Amino acid sequence: MTRHKWLVVARNEYRIRTSNIRKIRPYFPYLVIVLLAIYVSFIAPRLFSLFIDDILAFIITYAAIPIVQIILFMVFFYFIIIPITNTLKEVQTEQLEIFLAAPIKPSDVLLGEFLGVMPFYAIVVTVIAGSFTALMTPMQLDLAQIAITITIFVLTFFSALWIGTVTASILRTRLGKTARGKDVGRALALIIALPMIALMYAIMGGGLLQALTDPQTSGMVRTVLSVLPSSWGAEVFIGFASNPGNIGATGFETLTRFGGLVAFFLAALWLGAKAANRAYSLEATTFAASRARPDGVFYKTVRRLGGGGPFGTLLVSMFKDYGRRLENLSKIFYMLGLLALLNIFLIQPDDPEGILVMTAFVLPLLSAFVVGEVTLRGKEALFIYKKAPSGIGRLVKARLLKGWLIVVPISAVVTIATSLINPKNTLAFLLINTGLVVLMVAATVIFVLGLFLLNPAFSDKSGNLFVNIMIVMQALPFGTFLIPLIILREVFDLGLYATLSYVTVPLSWLMGILLLYLGKRKLSRIE
Amino acid sequence: MKVVIRTDKLSKYYGKHGAIKAVDELDLEVYEGETFGLLGPNGAGKTTAVRLLNCIIKPTRGTATVNGHDILKEEVKVKRVTGLLAESPGLYEKLSAYEFLEFMGALYDVPSNVLRERIDDLLKLFGLHDRRDDLLEGYSRGMKQKVLIAAALIHDPPILFLDEPTSTLDPRAALMVKDLIKKLANGAGKTIFICSHILPIVEELCDRIGIINQGRLIALGTVDEIIAQTRTKTLEEAFIAITGGVEEKELLAWREHRRDEA
Repeated sequence: MTRHKWLVVARNEYRIRTSNIRKIRPYFPYLVIVLLAIYVSFIAPRLFSLFIDDILAFIITYAAIPIVQIILFMVFFYFIIIPITNTLKEVQTEQLEIFLAAPIKPSDVLLGEFLGVMPFYAIVVTVIAGSFTALMTPMQLDLAQIAITITIFVLTFFSALWIGTVTASILRTRLGKTARGKDVGRALALIIALPMIALMYAIMGGGLLQALTDPQTSGMVRTVLSVLPSSWGAEVFIGFASNPGNIGATGFETLTRFGGLVAFFLAALWLGAKAANRAYSLEATTFAASRARPDGVFYKTVRRLGGGGPFGTLLVSMFKDYGRRLENLSKIFYMLGLLALLNIFLIQPDDPEGILVMTAFVLPLLSAFVVGEVTLRGKEALFIYKKAPSGIGRLVKARLLKGWLIVVPISAVVTIATSLINPKNTLAFLLINTGLVVLMVAATVIFVLGLFLLNPAFSDKSGNLFVNIMIVMQALPFGTFLIPLIILREVFDLGLYATLSYVTVPLSWLMGILLLYLGKRKLSRIE
Repeated sequence: MKVVIRTDKLSKYYGKHGAIKAVDELDLEVYEGETFGLLGPNGAGKTTAVRLLNCIIKPTRGTATVNGHDILKEEVKVKRVTGLLAESPGLYEKLSAYEFLEFMGALYDVPSNVLRERIDDLLKLFGLHDRRDDLLEGYSRGMKQKVLIAAALIHDPPILFLDEPTSTLDPRAALMVKDLIKKLANGAGKTIFICSHILPIVEELCDRIGIINQGRLIALGTVDEIIAQTRTKTLEEAFIAITGGVEEKELLAWREHRRDEA
């Protein structure tokens, strides 16, 4: 008997995802089921029974529906972007040829890929649905209400996952055939997370939840939310919670919202299956190769800044290689977006210290994005410099200059812009802030370059990359800024500016120079 | 002799108004049991031709039959009678060799009881049986190529397409692949369609060859016939004569130019 092809693909996908746990693969599903059963039956009910009074009070508030809608929307959005982001990070079309050469329908491949990853998402869905059910059980919902609640979770999140899988497959086919397309994919993979971050910041510091509790300010948000399929279930949940054991009380609302969700799920499945032929194709989309234009004013200036000779040419080459990768530009755009969101939602315009604290914690990541790619193209790219006379020295010098020329102006502009938001800030304040930030960031660039040479990451999957990013994001700002700030405040009663001037800036430079020296030495020994 | 692959003005054009002719009016016949080589420089259209004949992409114009099945109307039947070793194939690196072949066999509907035995036989043939449970990510390039050839053979197709089968292999692995192709052609009676730009491989293995350049078939026959047609002494010379190459006097022109300036 021949097996269904989608089942073959799903099994293959599942095997790939569980290759790291091959030894326990036969028992893995049972292990997960037992753990989930323990969570849903014992842990969640006991955990949520502690808050049951608060929950009951919350259910009758005006904000209950939109807040549940927002939570569901965030998970819905997350389930859509996860498969897309995973695909875009590393767009691969090589395996397509296997499927296209085999007697299998594209819709079977799509369904198989979806079902193959579904068990892992099902774990998350079970935890969320189990938690909600545990929350609602003490309210004495009847069996039909609980069954509908669980079904709503399954339909909402699996339709999101299906949409994400179909979109990811189409993007993979569209982008995976050219180097430019793959670059676009990697660039999008990062940017796509920004809306989610914006929503999180809006909840954390933007007063979104407070606005939702106010009937006068929540109207537009409620209207927008009510259109989203992820929201329809929230209205049913709150209806059930307000009328436990009486499904008839919200019969019409339940029928329309739940029916709408079922229709949405079926429509998504049908449209996805229709789009499958587009998702699996090796037909070339473009033959236009990207071409280099003659150097303009920017590159001529960079060449001059590099002394105009061979070193200037080297510096320009580095800028070209960096700037022509959309992935690199998207990282800068992402950081700018992050800084803008922080300013909009979290930083108070009348808090002068907020700007400096923000820059101390966020700008090191920008440095890591710009300078940290020094070894990411692999050892072979470094060997080009090792082979050239005085190559290592020139590589370090050029990378440092490139880092400064990108990171320092951006940081200065961001600081000036954020300082100008509050009209009360004086020119002296603006100059001091900008000066301190420039000095800090310039030192950070040296620190990051040294660190990434000392602990090189030869691919973006390398564990060293993660370690380095953590050092840059956590150890550096805590070690050179926050901890000294606390100590100096407690012991000497010194403030933020004194800490930055006397400790943070000199310490960052000292550590940066030391790391760069060690990193350069390590680079010359890499084999 | 029975014709198993026949193309009729098979064409694949890309770009605005079909400006890029990847394959242009290809007329070709390949006979049952023969080893046919499609030879051409990089970008000549070899891989596109193979993809068209395996129903991976659709022709802009013309058609072809593979084992009597029309590539436009009988896609599934065509796919069942062909095995393909792609030029840059995608292996599932997180699968073991056994798991990968099991997956490929299931894709081609090989019955489970036959499949297990066949995987074992193929892995033994390629000397990979001891490492059948190792993940493919730990295999060398030559070993991966062996797994891919085994995957192309898993449903025992009568026609085998091998796109650059030895281009990434070391001499020892290349020799092994060459011997295997000979055995498949002579012992198992398979029709083999090889695409390559490595002339000695084609010269040694193929009964007949076709030379393709810029999408058009510009020569067809046995190696001796093509050498005779071009009035050259070797296949290499014939290939250069047909497809064009750099003149010997041009090779150091860049240096002469500098000397003139000095």
